[in-house]
Amino acid sequence: MMHVDFDVAWQVMKWPLAACLVLPPLLVYLGLHVVKREVIFVDLALAQLATLGTCVALILGYSFSDRISFWISLAVTFAGAALFSWSRNSERQHVPQEAIIGITFVVAAAGVILLLSRVAGGKEELEHLLTGDILNVTARDVGQRAAIFVVLAGFFGAFHRHFALISEDAKAAAATGLRVRLWDFLFYAAFAVVVVFFVRVAGVLLTFAYLIVPAVCSVMLARTWKSRLLVGWAIAALSSLVGLYASFAMDFPTGAAIVCACGLALVLVTIGVSFRQGKLV
Amino acid sequence: MTTLTHLVLAFAALLPTAGGVEAPPPAKLLNVVATTPDLAALARAIGGAAVDVKALAKPTEDPHFVDAKPSLVVTLNRADMLIEGGAELEMGWLPPLLESARNDRIAAGSPGRVSASTGIRMLEVPTSFDRSKGDVHSMGNPHFLLDPVNVRLVVTQIAQHMAQVDPASAALFRDNLKNFLATLEVKAAAWQKELEPFRGAKIVTYHKDFVYLAERYKLEVAETLEPKPGIEPSPIHLAAVIGTMRAQKVRVILVQPFQNRKTAETVARQTDAVVLDMPQQPGVKPNTATYFDLMDSLVHTLATALQEKK
Ligand SMILES: [Zn+2]
Repeated sequence: MMHVDFDVAWQVMKWPLAACLVLPPLLVYLGLHVVKREVIFVDLALAQLATLGTCVALILGYSFSDRISFWISLAVTFAGAALFSWSRNSERQHVPQEAIIGITFVVAAAGVILLLSRVAGGKEELEHLLTGDILNVTARDVGQRAAIFVVLAGFFGAFHRHFALISEDAKAAAATGLRVRLWDFLFYAAFAVVVVFFVRVAGVLLTFAYLIVPAVCSVMLARTWKSRLLVGWAIAALSSLVGLYASFAMDFPTGAAIVCACGLALVLVTIGVSFRQGKLV
Repeated sequence: MTTLTHLVLAFAALLPTAGGVEAPPPAKLLNVVATTPDLAALARAIGGAAVDVKALAKPTEDPHFVDAKPSLVVTLNRADMLIEGGAELEMGWLPPLLESARNDRIAAGSPGRVSASTGIRMLEVPTSFDRSKGDVHSMGNPHFLLDPVNVRLVVTQIAQHMAQVDPASAALFRDNLKNFLATLEVKAAAWQKELEPFRGAKIVTYHKDFVYLAERYKLEVAETLEPKPGIEPSPIHLAAVIGTMRAQKVRVILVQPFQNRKTAETVARQTDAVVLDMPQQPGVKPNTATYFDLMDSLVHTLATALQEKK
């Protein structure tokens, strides 16, 4: 433990804490869809595309904080969103969507490496983009994202029935006359916006952890959308608290500590559920 | 074996700042934070018993790119004084940490903030600047501490600021400065003498981090493995470096611990050169905790290699 009074700890950790408690719920909701659709790695691919977009901006001479590099990042991610909503509806080609997602991920990751080899300190930059800089998040970062996420949460809330139907059974949804392709694009586009905003403060790894781990845990623990959302949020919050505490107490990089705490949460939930089902006794 | 020793020593050097078991210093000591261990060593020499000095970067870390961790913010939050290299050396990592730390005592322009590059005659100041070309030296070369003349300016500035922040210890700082400068004069003459026979010798470095040393002792940096400061070595560039080294018979490559030694070794194999471990931070090599010991070690290592490869 570092010998610091609570005041100092609070001053250093309050905005990271706010970010880790306030921002993940929308990701948890999207995670539930992603788990249902069995497109787990879509987030990793979109996050990597967001990073690729940022690197394109860097190579063009803009800095990370320039507004234009945000828009470039968003545009590249939108292109990925369009690809994913299109590929989901091309089942006739016998190409599993997960393959397209995986290929997108590795090509985007390799593209990032290529571009950053031409940027000063590229290797370090690469690590930062992966692990993010949640420790240095500001009040402005949190406030801006919270506002945007509330609007997006309203959007997903208003059309939840459509999205849930498509995620659970796309064929049945099409049979009711729903324009699946359009709704799918809207889903991935909104998803892309969330990922782009989140990746810029939290990095690729933490974004992915928040999206998947709470959702997977809550699928094991709860049944309805609402209860799963609440359970997932609670698990995200608990993992955040443990990760932030460990980061401060043992001086670990903050984002990576939270990702590991998420991993620990998944292990504990899995063991707990197995006990309850009598598999381990 | 030597790598292992380095690692152990590097860890030993880290222990006091790693936030592990250390007790809080007595309240009356001046909390001085330096961005890099070399600046911290200078601050220790001047501050003596009146100060508690911490470095943000590890001796084995690239000073251009330091990882953000909570302890760094806490350290900055409690600092009475911050000594930075300046000239954008820490541009990539210090500003967000300072923003998180919210400490007016070390705000730019206050007596508690020392920018070491102030007053230094900077080398390699670019005439035009294009960020897209990738450059971590946009305000000139910030690795100026291996030139004793620059160190003179830096310690004088540190002593002035310390006296302003802690007037009660001003006499101590003045005495320490006087002693330091007297030793520096003697040492600088010795370094000059040891490197004198190699005037005009050519060296290759990984990064542009030995240009001040080269300028002071009239060595010539024939090439760097990085095509530009901060840009990873590319195959085409390395081929050109090998060509230059063969043509000009350059036989030494200087690397620091955070640089890719394998790249240097590959080039060395093609050119009958030797790769020299030349950490610019104190504490990486054994018995290099002070600036004088560090410079002794670097000058001696370099002189020995240049002699052998002559
Ligand atoms: Zn440099």
